[in-house]
Amino acid sequence: MAGIRGYWNLAAAAIAFRLLLLLCFPKDLHLGSRPEVATPLTSLRRLAEGYWLKQASMSPYSGSMYHGSPLLLSFLGQLTIRRVEGRPPHFYCSLMFVVVDFITAVLIRATGQKLLLSRHKSFQVLNLSKLVEASGIVNPGDFASLVYLWNPLTIVTCMGSSTSPIDNLMVVMAIYGACSRIAPLAAFGWVFATHLSLYPIILIVPVILLLGYGLDAPPSKLFLHKTSDASSSCALNQSPDNSEAPKLTDNAIHTFSWVQVLHFVLWVFIWLCFVLLLSSISLKDVGGLSEMFRKTYGFILTVEDLSPNIGVLWYFFAEVFDFFRNFFLIVFHVNILFMILPLAIRLKHRSCFLAFVYIAISSMLKSYPSVGDSALYLGLLALFCNELADMHFSFFLFCGYIGVSLLSPVMHNLWIWRGTGNANFYFATGLAYACLQTVLVVESVSSMLKHDRMLRKLVKA
Amino acid sequence: MAAEAGDGKPQPGRRPRSRLIVRLGALLVAYSVLVSVVCCIAGSVAFLLLPVLAKNTYVSENALMPGSANPMFSSQDVVEANRFLKEILDRGSAKVTGTEIAKLIGQHVVDVGAELYYHKFHPHGNQFHPLHFFSSITNTMEMQYNSSCTLFGLNSVGIIRAPRGDGKEAIVLVTPYNSQNIGQSEALSLGLAFSIFSLLSRVTWLAKDIVWLAADSRYGEYTAVDSWLKDYHNPLFLSNSGKIGTGVCFEENILHLLDQLKVKGPRYNIFKRAGTMAAALVFKVIEKKEKEERDSLTIYAEASNGQMPNLDLINIVHYLAVHRQGLRVKIGSMHSLLKAAWLKFVGEMLQLFGKLTKHLNPKWKFDITSAEYVEGTATLASSIYYQALGVPTGSHGAFRDYQVDAITLELSPRFSLDNENNRSAFLLRGGRLIEGVIRSVNNLLEKFHQSFFLYFLTAPHKFVSVGVYMIPFALLIAPLPIVSAALFSANDNLGNSTEKVNQEPGCIGSSDMELRSGSWKWLQAAKVVFMIHLWAIIMSFLPYMLSQFPLMTPIMLLLVWAALSICILLIFYLIFGACSTHCGWELLKSVMIAAASTGLSLMSIINFSTAQIGAMLIVPMCLLVQPLRKQMQAGVCRKAVLVICNLTLAVVGFPPVALLIAKGVCEGFGKAGVGTFWELAQLLWSWNSATYLYLLWIHLPCWVLCLHILLYPCIGRSSKA
Repeated sequence: MAGIRGYWNLAAAAIAFRLLLLLCFPKDLHLGSRPEVATPLTSLRRLAEGYWLKQASMSPYSGSMYHGSPLLLSFLGQLTIRRVEGRPPHFYCSLMFVVVDFITAVLIRATGQKLLLSRHKSFQVLNLSKLVEASGIVNPGDFASLVYLWNPLTIVTCMGSSTSPIDNLMVVMAIYGACSRIAPLAAFGWVFATHLSLYPIILIVPVILLLGYGLDAPPSKLFLHKTSDASSSCALNQSPDNSEAPKLTDNAIHTFSWVQVLHFVLWVFIWLCFVLLLSSISLKDVGGLSEMFRKTYGFILTVEDLSPNIGVLWYFFAEVFDFFRNFFLIVFHVNILFMILPLAIRLKHRSCFLAFVYIAISSMLKSYPSVGDSALYLGLLALFCNELADMHFSFFLFCGYIGVSLLSPVMHNLWIWRGTGNANFYFATGLAYACLQTVLVVESVSSMLKHDRMLRKLVKA
Repeated sequence: MAAEAGDGKPQPGRRPRSRLIVRLGALLVAYSVLVSVVCCIAGSVAFLLLPVLAKNTYVSENALMPGSANPMFSSQDVVEANRFLKEILDRGSAKVTGTEIAKLIGQHVVDVGAELYYHKFHPHGNQFHPLHFFSSITNTMEMQYNSSCTLFGLNSVGIIRAPRGDGKEAIVLVTPYNSQNIGQSEALSLGLAFSIFSLLSRVTWLAKDIVWLAADSRYGEYTAVDSWLKDYHNPLFLSNSGKIGTGVCFEENILHLLDQLKVKGPRYNIFKRAGTMAAALVFKVIEKKEKEERDSLTIYAEASNGQMPNLDLINIVHYLAVHRQGLRVKIGSMHSLLKAAWLKFVGEMLQLFGKLTKHLNPKWKFDITSAEYVEGTATLASSIYYQALGVPTGSHGAFRDYQVDAITLELSPRFSLDNENNRSAFLLRGGRLIEGVIRSVNNLLEKFHQSFFLYFLTAPHKFVSVGVYMIPFALLIAPLPIVSAALFSANDNLGNSTEKVNQEPGCIGSSDMELRSGSWKWLQAAKVVFMIHLWAIIMSFLPYMLSQFPLMTPIMLLLVWAALSICILLIFYLIFGACSTHCGWELLKSVMIAAASTGLSLMSIINFSTAQIGAMLIVPMCLLVQPLRKQMQAGVCRKAVLVICNLTLAVVGFPPVALLIAKGVCEGFGKAGVGTFWELAQLLWSWNSATYLYLLWIHLPCWVLCLHILLYPCIGRSSKA
């Protein structure tokens, strides 16, 4: 149950590594111009342009350059114009992203510890303490936080002048808030994440489930089974030890606590008003809220920018005829929405895992994906390392991720710079990447369900 | 991929009705030995068959229309060329300063009514940009004027603005000449270029601007052309010109220089541009010792990292040279292979086989004569060698870095050039050829895109396209993922079986532990592989740092490098070595093979030839490697074969030995010393060749891991195969 030895050393080393990269490579890393790292939504270069427009008393959204939140402009804009001689152009922003990454990692760690505690509690209730001893080898919090910090994709995103670290922080904040039942924090994270990148809106389902039912636990049927078992054995044996069991079990099966959820909704309302108020103040003379919605959410939903990225939508919408465009836009976006309900029903007892699955699916099907999204869901995946210990294809997925992340820049180079390849070369890696993500989601969900089945077998045995 | 399907195999017992693709994968994995042997042999055979599968080239872009117009280059132009030649030789013999010829060119260019400017450049030392091939062009903007201001070369550039064009596209002609010591042949190429240039200034059909670059090759042709191209593509804006301190010295010098040049007219130091380049022709006249029955033309096309110009450019040159001007077209070929007995034997076998198939069905076109086959193979080998080296074969390589298709044309006359008549006939042919090529390119509406970029030439008019040459390579590396999956799933099965035994309610805990370590045990092996690759990456940066120390001979440098690398490897072993013995060698081999196959497929996209040669060395080594102790258990005969195979492959797979063999085959074994490796490595990294990275990042770690497995202390738990 002990955490990973030298966690803080490793975390500090990860931070030091980022700072080293920042200080040692002033100009050679042109990560900000890579389509894998910076999307039209998250590019810091575009943000600097938007800030400049705003300083010139123009709408930051004019000219289809900037598509992010106006709050980020006020927050990061000042930092983008400060330059240091001999340092990367967005030095201060990158420094801030290092801090943001660290905060995210700490929040993931806290979430993991909460998950571990709840897991132990439910195993104790189910009389599976042997499983607890066995599974306590890895502390998921420490592990996931280190995976997040040392993931090359996270490091690249952090160095690559893109705002996705902030998006990720907001998402993790929402999940942490929900896990520790701090409704204001959860609401803050959810509202800001939604405001920044729209897709986290679907996280409302797991957040409400987390607040309502509590943390991940084995299916509630098991507890009921245990209760009935215990009561029958109580009736037979009258042993004093077991008298405590039903009470514990009752604690374990949380009834849906409406108070928490209402609390959350209230806070969501408050934060929503706050965000809208700040945005409208920020855009008072230049555009206004309606333009903001059109240029941010509208831009996301209508896939206006067809420049290549690691997703699959740009290629598709570059090919599709104009009169089918709206139809396919609906099809693609409904694709994400379709999966919400079935997954929520199947995985309602594991809401945190549900959140991971939603994030993975949306980062696969979103209109402007970047490696920052995969960094987030890979970090969250590591939270369930104990449950997913016997996941299949782990080696294949590992090789696939490495292969695709090396192949994708090479294909891009072949197409754009050498001129010997074409768009299909690059799109092929995008397709392979989508397949990998699909396999990852399918395998992780199926091994989680298998884990539940194994628990049921053990409890019934 | 096979690995995808292969990994799904683990428990056929539990899930009897698995998906079809999984079952197919399982089938492949079950017969992995057979599959890999068949694939490797098929790959090698297909590779040898490439010259047979070569197709005739054809002009793919219709707009080119080579040879459809009558050449306008007449004897009048030849007279002009001769006059120019004489003037150059007169000036050249005086040898006053290096600028005399530039001045002469300048005067003539101004006289025909074209724009002129001089481009001054400083020769820059070779720099180490490990990922240069990978970065965009704008990254190279910072030029280092580390040399003093006195060291410079002077290119003279003339531009004809097209009467029918919009000034957005240009065709570039390059004639390198040595301004210090000009010979007759270089003077002749300048004369030829000038006569073409003056002809083009008069014609009415030009739709693209013509740029004539008389490159001062005092510090090497490539340097001159490359620095001109750099300045052409990276405009120096006023805002950042202040940052470059050397700008002052630059300006002063060129003003002083222009005083010397005394060319009247507007300022000639202003860099002028003429739109994007559609194509570039580098041409020079070389007098060869051995005389042939016809004037000949040698085409060089390989640019950095095995990039080739569009095949259409070579096609039109070949078409015009052979069918219009009656020149003999040659491309580089490997002479040592021409006399190889085994190749002749293979050729004769193929000829026999071709006859047989023709006998069976006359429609099968599989006939190739033995001589043709040998010649095709020699040409193909040289094509592969120069692409694999990643070093451009001429100054045309500089253009390819900017996505401009360029080739070098080397014209050599039949007779001595001293004879006036012969010279005139030769000039007429050369002039008409180049005029025809320019006219074709001038017709282009778009960039070259129709024909192939990825191909090998087996003869000037025969090529093997990417679709064909990928097949042997794919066959060769197909066993890698399959064997990797087989080894992995064999290990996985072992874990599962132990787990099944333990799968009783009583000992849940231990089963869970077993499960954990069983499913994620490959992480240990991955750690070892990662460490070795990290070591290799550190190694690859060392030579550059070492080369900063002056006054060291190549042999000393090489020894220091080797000593340092072994030290660092030992340190790595001491720190991380403890964990490496936990996992079985099968897992280590599986992860190593996965890494090797990823590296090879990556390299096949960056530079195919390197990947092909590398695959021929690595794939057998990776597939056959087994711990020596395990091999000792096998039967005597099998043992001997295995041990000999493994040891041979381990020796041949060592990158220096591989390099030595590659170089020996191509240039003869005679002049190889210990220092050669260092020089070769330096050549590779100074040209930013991806081959250097391949050798150190993929090949070397793979070799080290193979050695590690060979010397593996404990015998694996399961016996494979």
